[in-house]
Amino acid sequence: MNIELLKRLLGEAGLTAWEVTDLRKRGWEFYFIRHKLDQNRAKEVEDITLKVYCSIEDGKYLGSASGTIPPTASEEEIRKTISDLAGRAYLVKNPYYTLNPGDGKAHQNLRMVSLEAISDSFIRVMRTLPETKTEDVNSYEIFVHEMSRRYLNSEGVDQTVVYPSSMLEVVINARNEAKDHEIELYRMLTSGTCDEGRITSEIGRALQYGKDKLVAGNTPALEQASVVFSNDNSLSIYEYFLAQMDAAMKYQQISRAEIGQALIADAQGDRINLAAVRQLPNSSRNFDVDMEGAEIWDRVLIRGGVAENFYGNRQFSQYLGLEKSSQVFNYVVLGGSRSAQELRQGKFLEVVEFSDFQVDEMTGDIAGEIRLGYWHDGESVKIVSGGSVSGNIREAARQMYLSKETTLYDGAQVPSVVRFENLTVTGIE
Amino acid sequence: MKAKFSPYLTRLAQFFRELSRELSKTYNYVSILSTDSVGLNIRISGRSKSVSSETMTTERGNVVRVHQNGLYSEYAFNDLDLEEALFPTAERRLDYVRQMADIIRNEVNRQMELLKRTETTVYTTPTLKDEPRVLLVEKEAKILPEEANVAEYVERLTELSERGRNSMEGVLDCSMSAQCTHICKMFITPNQYLRQSYVYAEGTAVLIAANEETTKFSYEGVSGLGGMEIFDGLEEKLEVSIRHMKDLLSSGRIEPGEYDIITAPNVTGLIAHEAFGHGVEMDMFVKNRALGQEYIGKRVGSDLVTMHEGALCAESVTGFAFDDEGTPAGDVIEIDHGILKTGICDALSALRLGVEPTGNGKRQNYEHKVYTRMTNTVFDSGNDSLDDMIASISHGYLLEGMESGMEDPKHWGIQCIISKGYEIRDGKLTGKVVSPVVMTGYVPDLLGSVSMASADREIEGNGGCGKGYKEWVKVADGGPYLKARARLG
Repeated sequence: MNIELLKRLLGEAGLTAWEVTDLRKRGWEFYFIRHKLDQNRAKEVEDITLKVYCSIEDGKYLGSASGTIPPTASEEEIRKTISDLAGRAYLVKNPYYTLNPGDGKAHQNLRMVSLEAISDSFIRVMRTLPETKTEDVNSYEIFVHEMSRRYLNSEGVDQTVVYPSSMLEVVINARNEAKDHEIELYRMLTSGTCDEGRITSEIGRALQYGKDKLVAGNTPALEQASVVFSNDNSLSIYEYFLAQMDAAMKYQQISRAEIGQALIADAQGDRINLAAVRQLPNSSRNFDVDMEGAEIWDRVLIRGGVAENFYGNRQFSQYLGLEKSSQVFNYVVLGGSRSAQELRQGKFLEVVEFSDFQVDEMTGDIAGEIRLGYWHDGESVKIVSGGSVSGNIREAARQMYLSKETTLYDGAQVPSVVRFENLTVTGIE
Repeated sequence: MKAKFSPYLTRLAQFFRELSRELSKTYNYVSILSTDSVGLNIRISGRSKSVSSETMTTERGNVVRVHQNGLYSEYAFNDLDLEEALFPTAERRLDYVRQMADIIRNEVNRQMELLKRTETTVYTTPTLKDEPRVLLVEKEAKILPEEANVAEYVERLTELSERGRNSMEGVLDCSMSAQCTHICKMFITPNQYLRQSYVYAEGTAVLIAANEETTKFSYEGVSGLGGMEIFDGLEEKLEVSIRHMKDLLSSGRIEPGEYDIITAPNVTGLIAHEAFGHGVEMDMFVKNRALGQEYIGKRVGSDLVTMHEGALCAESVTGFAFDDEGTPAGDVIEIDHGILKTGICDALSALRLGVEPTGNGKRQNYEHKVYTRMTNTVFDSGNDSLDDMIASISHGYLLEGMESGMEDPKHWGIQCIISKGYEIRDGKLTGKVVSPVVMTGYVPDLLGSVSMASADREIEGNGGCGKGYKEWVKVADGGPYLKARARLG
């Protein structure tokens, strides 16, 4: 679409405050059953979002309304969309805020993205996995995108970023020698380009887990137990803390975080240190500016368990009175006081596969059905499955311990192992 | 009134028919799905308000599917030179048809070169049939989202939000939402010309409240096939949401264990969806990912368990006339009195399995691939009353309010996170509430334990359903109150 035409029509409609996001996606996708190609797909699409603003009651309130403009929209359709949005904006009264200011110049951060080369890497690495007769890959889906996002607003911001974004979904099978019992495990990995090392290591580990799940017994009814998380399930835990520092969550009174105060009262374990960062190696979310044109920079959000900085979009950041703010895409949680090996001492249940592990960002409730775990009873290790882990992060984090070692998962670098001393484990024996 | 089909798509029909014929010179199957779905999305809370024309299913774009040498390939795009595509002179229009066909062929060929270079072999699939069919379906809706008086709905939701915020102590906010989408889809092959237009709506009343110990949210929704008139039911749902919040704020945690349970229709629907909804999606059969394929004709539940699946089962948010592959909507009996009869199937999986497609081939939108997906997944009703069901339990819980669930088609495990449980002791509700409740178990054990079913039933269609952790589509599910036995934590 011709953005200049859109800007002209906005001007002709008398609109002085607006935002436009022009997102172009080129994508290649490959779907495999075993290692045979099931289907291939390509896409080339453009999505344009327009948001218009109006001042209400002499600037006491800011009205807004948003909509999409298809690239095939005629000039007449665009005029109608602008007119409809302008009329609707007066119905939506939010406290006043301003858009991010710009310098009136176009800024670009363009990274070369080769769909062919990245796809080639994914296809080839999937054939190098350590599959055996009893542990192998059932199916996988490869998604490779070149994303081009241009954001511009009426205050002079005009930022374009081009970046790679990839996703790999893998289903793994394991079966016994008699082939009368088969299980499956699921993995979804996101990254900028193809992260061959991570694929090899995570899928390799999953193949081993598959072997163990075949012989898993029932999870014992442990009631309160020490539980260890050692893979990307732990991201839900850290994202609960990240959400508490989100200006929108704070403004809506869902977050109870107060600057200078501990997020978890009476914490006896490790205190969390969480920072927003602009770049992480091969993250699919390495941006210089956020979705509203605000500069992204590295800063601490939680230091030693104490809230230090909120972050968020322009609207809610201004409502909280933050002088400088942006959305967060990549984050780092520093390692804790003990090694991963030390965290695996004594009695504990290490859960490596859940059906869907969740930490509710609003309530702090923790829940997940156990699909594979290792129960260390102090003397031996029992491979277990079934039952669930539950609790509430606000209570559980009082006895939370983080490993010194950290692991990178796309846009998050976090402790490799985290241990809680007091979660509820509902077993089935 | 009839929801009129998109004039934009109608104007382009000739161009896409010509494009399908042009591509047929290269490929032995060609189909084109074009969409033009518009919507309205209003969200009002005490802290934030928004109005947008975007919903989960608004879109305008096209996807071309071609078949050659046993392989299906697709190309999705949403830009066209309309002046050329609609040019009245056939010769000039056909020039543009050939130009577009070349773009599609080139992109497919570039991928083929990579596949050749990587020595990739193909999972060969037969060619879809292309029998002549013409269809236009325009379903009823009173108020279309594109014609709604937005001011009226903003005012109404603002009043309800305020009422919710003032309803009790401890309320942090009350968020009211109303989303309505007018779906228009056109499916074209050299021999087929199918068009459909329908409208669905979904609204929610969400209360957030806190006391010193906890923060809770209470959620109720309305949904259905139809226009903005469906939001008339939101006021009643807000009252239910307020009542539930009072229960939630006084709730404790459940003692983990196995209990007799009664599932409210929204929890019954969650079980239907996670237990044998995902479990009999037959694209999973193709990959040998579902245990269900080994259990066709075998018992998987008690005699009281009969389950239907299909867009024709109910007038809900997924009430289409044909799916995203042009297959007519269906109504499949998956489980008949406890016996697993069949699954649901998209067109390509049907070809591979040698069965008929059931009208369950769905895309998240035109950019995404087709998978076998659910539509309405519903347990049949029984003859019991809820009072009798409660009276039959010595110690257990009435489970109400679904939060989330996760499928496990390979092992038939089930995880349902449920908003709350009302304790039952000696045949009576005690007034004690537990929250949240994690229900887990083995699907045949859970369905095999169903011992009572109420005579009424409800179907809900708020939110979306993913396949794994992606591919979000609209579905609806439900059923009656069921009595069963399950592990709760």
